[in-house]
Amino acid sequence: MMSGDAFSLPSLIAGFAQDQNSANPKPNTNPVAKKKRNLPGTPDPDAEVVALSPKTLMATNRFICEICNKGFQRDQNLQLHRRGHNLPWKLKQRTNKEVRKKVYICPENTCVHHDSSRALGDLTGIKKHFSRKHGEKKWKCEKCSKKYAVQSDWKAHSKTCGTREYKCDCGTLFSRKDSFITHRAFCDALADESARNTSVPETDLNFRNDTVNFPHGFSSRPGVPDIAGISQFSAGYRPDFSGMRTPGNSLGADQQNTGLSLWLNQANSHITPNSNLYVPPISTGFPDQMVQMGANLYSSSSSANLGNITLSGLPHELKEEGINKANMVDTTSASLYSDRIQNKQLKLAAVPMSATALLQKAAQMGSTRSNQLPFFGNSYGLMSSSSSPTTNPISLNQNPNELYHVFQDVKQPATENLKATHSVAMGDAMMGTSSNLDQLVMRTNENLQNEPTQLKLQRGSDSIESGLTRDFLGMSSESGFLFLPQDLAKFASISSAMRLNHFTANH
Amino acid sequence: MRFEFSRGSSQRGDRFFPSHQQSNDQVAAIDMQSNSSATTNKNQPQTSHTSTSRSSDSGEACGGGNKWASKLLSECARAISEKDSSKIHHLLWMLNELASPYGDCDQKLASYFLQALFCKATDSGQRCFKTLATVAEKSHSFDSARKLILKFQEVSPWTTFGHVASNGAILEALDGESKLHIIDISNTFCTQWPTLLEALATRNDETPRLKLTVVVTAGIVKSVMKEVGQRMEKFARLMGVPFEFNVISGLNHIGELTKEGLGVREDEAVAINCVGALRRVEVDERSSVIQLLRSLSPRVVTIVEEEADFSSSRYDFVRCFEECLRFYTLYFEMLEESFVPTSNERLMLERESSRNIVRVLACDEENGGGECERRERGIHWSGRLREAFSPVGFSDDVVDDVRALLKRYKSGWALVLAQGDNHESGIYLTWKEEPVVWASAWKP
Repeated sequence: MMSGDAFSLPSLIAGFAQDQNSANPKPNTNPVAKKKRNLPGTPDPDAEVVALSPKTLMATNRFICEICNKGFQRDQNLQLHRRGHNLPWKLKQRTNKEVRKKVYICPENTCVHHDSSRALGDLTGIKKHFSRKHGEKKWKCEKCSKKYAVQSDWKAHSKTCGTREYKCDCGTLFSRKDSFITHRAFCDALADESARNTSVPETDLNFRNDTVNFPHGFSSRPGVPDIAGISQFSAGYRPDFSGMRTPGNSLGADQQNTGLSLWLNQANSHITPNSNLYVPPISTGFPDQMVQMGANLYSSSSSANLGNITLSGLPHELKEEGINKANMVDTTSASLYSDRIQNKQLKLAAVPMSATALLQKAAQMGSTRSNQLPFFGNSYGLMSSSSSPTTNPISLNQNPNELYHVFQDVKQPATENLKATHSVAMGDAMMGTSSNLDQLVMRTNENLQNEPTQLKLQRGSDSIESGLTRDFLGMSSESGFLFLPQDLAKFASISSAMRLNHFTANH
Repeated sequence: MRFEFSRGSSQRGDRFFPSHQQSNDQVAAIDMQSNSSATTNKNQPQTSHTSTSRSSDSGEACGGGNKWASKLLSECARAISEKDSSKIHHLLWMLNELASPYGDCDQKLASYFLQALFCKATDSGQRCFKTLATVAEKSHSFDSARKLILKFQEVSPWTTFGHVASNGAILEALDGESKLHIIDISNTFCTQWPTLLEALATRNDETPRLKLTVVVTAGIVKSVMKEVGQRMEKFARLMGVPFEFNVISGLNHIGELTKEGLGVREDEAVAINCVGALRRVEVDERSSVIQLLRSLSPRVVTIVEEEADFSSSRYDFVRCFEECLRFYTLYFEMLEESFVPTSNERLMLERESSRNIVRVLACDEENGGGECERRERGIHWSGRLREAFSPVGFSDDVVDDVRALLKRYKSGWALVLAQGDNHESGIYLTWKEEPVVWASAWKP
């Protein structure tokens, strides 16, 4: 049927088969060769520009039989009809003329496609464009009352309307767009994320699950940037470690192992030079001790200290991790992390997004990754709020705040402990004592004996789960987070309450 | 009016509350007072009736168990207006026995209206209201407010009805403008605006700048609004809408607003959004407030009010009482059917209602110094508004949007267009065929 050479409307036939907005080159006689497509709206300069009036454009029966003047919607139908007229063979063939590609311009003067240089190559395309942009919207969705000019658009929408679920960064699912939007505007996930100005939902891996309360506490205290920074960064760092912790993590096993092994290596190898990196005012003796303890922990050797540390280990671990993490800034694991983060950030930040796209992206990402960390955004956002709004958490060297953030970054439980650590570290600035770390350590030891403390950071405090044995990466027999936000808050409060005399007791 | 609880008239009392037989005035009075102020804390010593005890009441209470509260309450209101002391005693005492803020709908209504009746009888409404308001304020926080209002909006279109209608009218009226200024006089904690921001962001043309000035009533804690503002700013950034946010609080009276105070500039297109705001204005000052709104030269004024009449009857206690009872019965029933039975949010809303009930029934106008909560029906508001504005009917699109919204909630809700004059006077949200909320749009 498609003879390929004699066309009355050369581009039409090809146009029917293809997507509207792509400008089609002349249809190939050779079906094997790929059709060359111009970019939409950038027509072939040799093409003939056809300007149809709105009436003609919207006419449904464009193909008229020359014999009986009957109109048809499609050329194929017309040809079929013509056969019925029993034409002599010569007239059967379509007129053999040079096929010239036709492009169409929109009859609406104000439209951008009215200009020949922005003509669309497809007749169906121009028809739909005209309808959508300049036409009356006659089709209306029942469920959401959204209006459409083109019936096929309306049909397509009706199929999916209401079936789509919106998922907020915090993990809540919505079937209604309006309640999703309203929720999103007030969600704590937003409060932290937007400061970063990128949404990095892919990294929101498992953070959310047990810490639903986590950002709430944080976000309700915008005036406590250090804590915010901690949580934010910790969440951000999770990709490296969370996978190791929980089985269902979407992180590749490679990454996990790499990170883990690196971490362990770091722990063992970078013991001594930590103190410089960690907190400037820390007294020299202590970090070594901590490092010692941490190192011991890593290598699973037990010492008198370790005996205490297993239970109370996490804060120490975190410190260790924090310190090691600082080291890891220069290591591949850090770069692994930073690469990933940077890639994500680049990827997400590369295309300026429209508002709807952002929302939709959040929704899609939410729906496609069920185990996302909703608060990764938090971490980032908080970090920015507390330190300079840098989206690369790895550039630690410059900013001491960021250093702290690195510490946060250890996996979940570590993170939370780091929070405590961090608060202490920050506390240096705040409290100006040089023995904060010591105090934190002993204090946390103490605390793990379930001593109730005042909350410095206004987090609810529960008794610490001292019953769990926590190995280094916080991987215990229990899945999920070992340290609840309450625990961390408790740690934080512990750090604020420091009492020196207990330190020796725990040794 | 001093109260004395006499033993003689209480047939049932001996059986249920022997303690009341120590008919000590002070004790009884204190009992009542502690009941009214104890509605806000969880430990209520007195009333722990189950429905079985209710049905075993003497014949004085309505026989069927249902709607006993309204009968008793109405009788008591009548007794108060007639100043029939012994009857008042008797009924108050009975209600006290039966009421509970944690029971079923009747018990709750009994409890809260009893409180108001008692305050009315003892002339202690102002004090009681202040106490309740202070208690509520103390437990107020951003998190609790957010949780409450979002949950309420999730289960019931009571508030979202007005939001969708108003946003639709505002968007249409300000279409094409590049600098928008919305003056939001409401206590909705800006839950109306995220969807509007999203709509502004997704419109085809250039996204306009939006300045939002929120005028809150005195009851709202400042820190909460600060947090709300921060969230809104962040959300607007996410949406890509240039946004500016201001809060005006601490006004005694909406009439104190000025163009300069609101920051209205000449090049802005102004929309005024009043949700439950007009009813907080003292009845005699409503006309002047409407003129004030007119003086701000808005393009559109959207009014959302609850459909009840506590104003025209404000000097007729019994009539006002009946209307109050009717409205809040509807409201409480709606709450009961919308929320889960153990919902804390519903409890919060009921308590808020109890403060309003006390305010309307037991506080005098002059003592106002705050929101008077005297609702008027849509028709009456329309009459007032016509002095300065002319109505703008909601477009078909907006009406369709609202209908689509109602479909997403449980059944029982419907949209009804205002009668007459081409449905210009707004739309009503109906709950089981009773109009409960009225929304309308006006232009100068």
